[in-house]
Amino acid sequence: MIKLNETPVRTARNFNINNIKLENIEIPEKFEFFQNANIFIESPKDEVSLCQNDTNLTYGLGEFFTNQVKEKANHFLTVNVNSKMKKLIMIDFEFDKNNLNLVENILINAKEGTKSTIVIKYKAEENLKCFHNGIIKVKAEKNSEINIVFANLLNIESNNFISIENELLDNAKVQWTIIDLGGKNSISNYYSNVLGKSANNELNAIYLGKENQIFDLNYIGELRGEKSNVNFEVQGALKDSSRKHFKGTIDFKRGSKKSKGNENEACMLLSNKARSLSLPMLLCSEEDVEGNHSTSSGKVGDKELFYIMSRGFDEKAAMKLMVRAKFNKILETIQIPELKNEILYEIDKRLD
Amino acid sequence: MKTKVEEINRNIYDIKNKDDYDFKIKKGLTREIIEEISAQKGDPDWMREIRLNALEVYNSLELPTWGPDLSELDMNEIATYVRPKSKLNSSWDDVPEDIKNTFDKLGIPDAEKNSLAGVGAQYDSEVVYHSIKEDLIKQGVIYTDMETAVREYPEIVKSHFMKCVPVNDHKFVALHAAVWSGGSFVYVPKGVKVDIPLQSYFRLNSPESGQFEHTLIIVDEGASLHFIEGCSAPKYNKVNLHAGCVELYVKDNAYLRYSTIENWSKNMLNLNTKKAIVGKNAGMDWVSGSFGSKISMLYPMSILNGEGAKTEFTGISFAGAGQNLDNGFKVVHNAKNTSSVVNAKSISKNGGKCTYRSLVRINENAKNSKCSVSCESLMLDDISISDTIPTADVRTDEVEFSHEAKIGKISDQAIFYLMSRGLSEEDAKAMIVRGFAYPISKEFPVEYAVEMNNLINLELEGAIG
Repeated sequence: MIKLNETPVRTARNFNINNIKLENIEIPEKFEFFQNANIFIESPKDEVSLCQNDTNLTYGLGEFFTNQVKEKANHFLTVNVNSKMKKLIMIDFEFDKNNLNLVENILINAKEGTKSTIVIKYKAEENLKCFHNGIIKVKAEKNSEINIVFANLLNIESNNFISIENELLDNAKVQWTIIDLGGKNSISNYYSNVLGKSANNELNAIYLGKENQIFDLNYIGELRGEKSNVNFEVQGALKDSSRKHFKGTIDFKRGSKKSKGNENEACMLLSNKARSLSLPMLLCSEEDVEGNHSTSSGKVGDKELFYIMSRGFDEKAAMKLMVRAKFNKILETIQIPELKNEILYEIDKRLD
Repeated sequence: MKTKVEEINRNIYDIKNKDDYDFKIKKGLTREIIEEISAQKGDPDWMREIRLNALEVYNSLELPTWGPDLSELDMNEIATYVRPKSKLNSSWDDVPEDIKNTFDKLGIPDAEKNSLAGVGAQYDSEVVYHSIKEDLIKQGVIYTDMETAVREYPEIVKSHFMKCVPVNDHKFVALHAAVWSGGSFVYVPKGVKVDIPLQSYFRLNSPESGQFEHTLIIVDEGASLHFIEGCSAPKYNKVNLHAGCVELYVKDNAYLRYSTIENWSKNMLNLNTKKAIVGKNAGMDWVSGSFGSKISMLYPMSILNGEGAKTEFTGISFAGAGQNLDNGFKVVHNAKNTSSVVNAKSISKNGGKCTYRSLVRINENAKNSKCSVSCESLMLDDISISDTIPTADVRTDEVEFSHEAKIGKISDQAIFYLMSRGLSEEDAKAMIVRGFAYPISKEFPVEYAVEMNNLINLELEGAIG
């Protein structure tokens, strides 16, 4: 049994949300170099190089997974963003029978005043049991602006573990869009250290669970700079016997005067066996701040469903439409039509 | 301009009587001490067994690994049973002068005359005064101290004592079951509506001691009751401990409102446990004002076992210098069509810490249930802390669950608006704080709302500098 993804602050043990305990996880021992990483760089000014990076994390999933990346990573990349024109960098990890296991370490350096869009995608063929464990660190220097799309399109036989850590300096803007669809277990740790003044971190995330999938999402935003902003928007849907644990923390540290933090998580329950566990925390050690959080769980509204069905859709199609409508707000942040369509196709496939 | 807050003027609550007792158990927690308490209280064998078993459970459980730091609590420095120099009386004239004076100053006899149907007053480990109006006795209402209930209604007590709150719930429940003393027992028969509230007041006078009163209330089918609990203690330099336990049974179609104004001294560790089991179409409302204690860990709980059961929690915490108030609410929806509403507020100032910690669990069988939670926190300066740590566990789809929380300071716009209407900045801020607390204070009976507002005023006195 492995215990991982601890919350920054503990609550009562019998609430069963301080961490997740996973049993019978098949963890590979050996990792050959992962060959199927396709990288596309739109601007010649930007650089992507194969390079080992520091694996120290403030939070992360836990010692075991951090050490695995440190000692056994079979892919590592350093991305230096130098362009000021918001060009695309695409990193595409395609799992197949020769590339079943990926342990990667990615460092993204957004230099002062630069802009970019980075897509990191993980996709696996059906019926392959794949394993993914990664660390992605982002350093956003002053006045940089970076949009990152993280698309977990793995199948539901695989296991997905990811630790993300952001550091934002003055006026930096980091926006993440996380699409979390794959993995029998999909365990994510996301941490933003908003150090600079007027820095802005946005996280828009979608999760969609089916069968026995388990999502454990631990999203943490710590505000330290004045007039900063952290915004978490999470939309999810759970089918069958799937379950999710959402642990969101917005922490106003001393010094974060005039900052704002918002956190919203909404879970649509599409089955009476699905289970939604939420812990949206708001921690505050600073006076002049504004913090809000909200969370909701429930089934698709009967009235809305009836309205759509009265327009000629059957129940399944109407339900699908409702889920897509909820997700659309987040999908709109993806500016690449091909990627958006691919994600929509995957969502539809999993909803059928 | 900063919001500064003076220490609360606690001259009423800080009345210290001489530590003059009839019997005080030696400090510590051993089998011998438990046996001695049991003997002193003349427990029947079954109660002695509960105590001894609870001690074993206590020794087997660890301290909570979450929440405030409790490392300063040393049970070897706490006397768990202090019997005052007074027997149980039914007339205030028979209560010893110094004890009576304390309750007089706290306004208990006056409240009894004006607005209560019955009063229980506990001093250290024993109840020294208990009364109930004649017409309620005629209707079959029982309101007495727990010791009398154990003696006179053993079967009812046996079947309810530590059943709603199991001994192994957590370490301080086990401690309570081992050393409990005092508290109130209420039984409201079927269909009887008790229109005027009953009140129990708990006063701890003895230094380096604990209070472990047990409150057991059974509101039978179709009956209703409003029960008020008050508590205070003078401040000493060393730690005092309060680990009471409240077990509430609200049967089908019954209604219970349980109001508390907690104003323990700021050397008190308040580790209290309160739970209610709510039957079919029954209602359980909690109203709670938490002002005192050095550390408080208090999470009243409603278990909605009957179809259509409802619960509401309305609470406010006000933490000042040196206080860490970790309060909240727990609800388990365990039947169809149940509903819960939570409205929690907190104010932190002068380095105080308020935490709202909660659990909402909607079980598989709780189809068509609804839960709505709202939390608001107000920070009055930049050295205080306010945390919100709510857990929601939803295990079925046909539910409506929503939680929202916000945190912030007093709005500059609101101050500006009030100042433009002729108020000074101090008055404007004080009015906003009172307005913030108003949705909670209006839920208390008038006398207690006034007490709560006075406490807030005292906290804010000389606050703006």
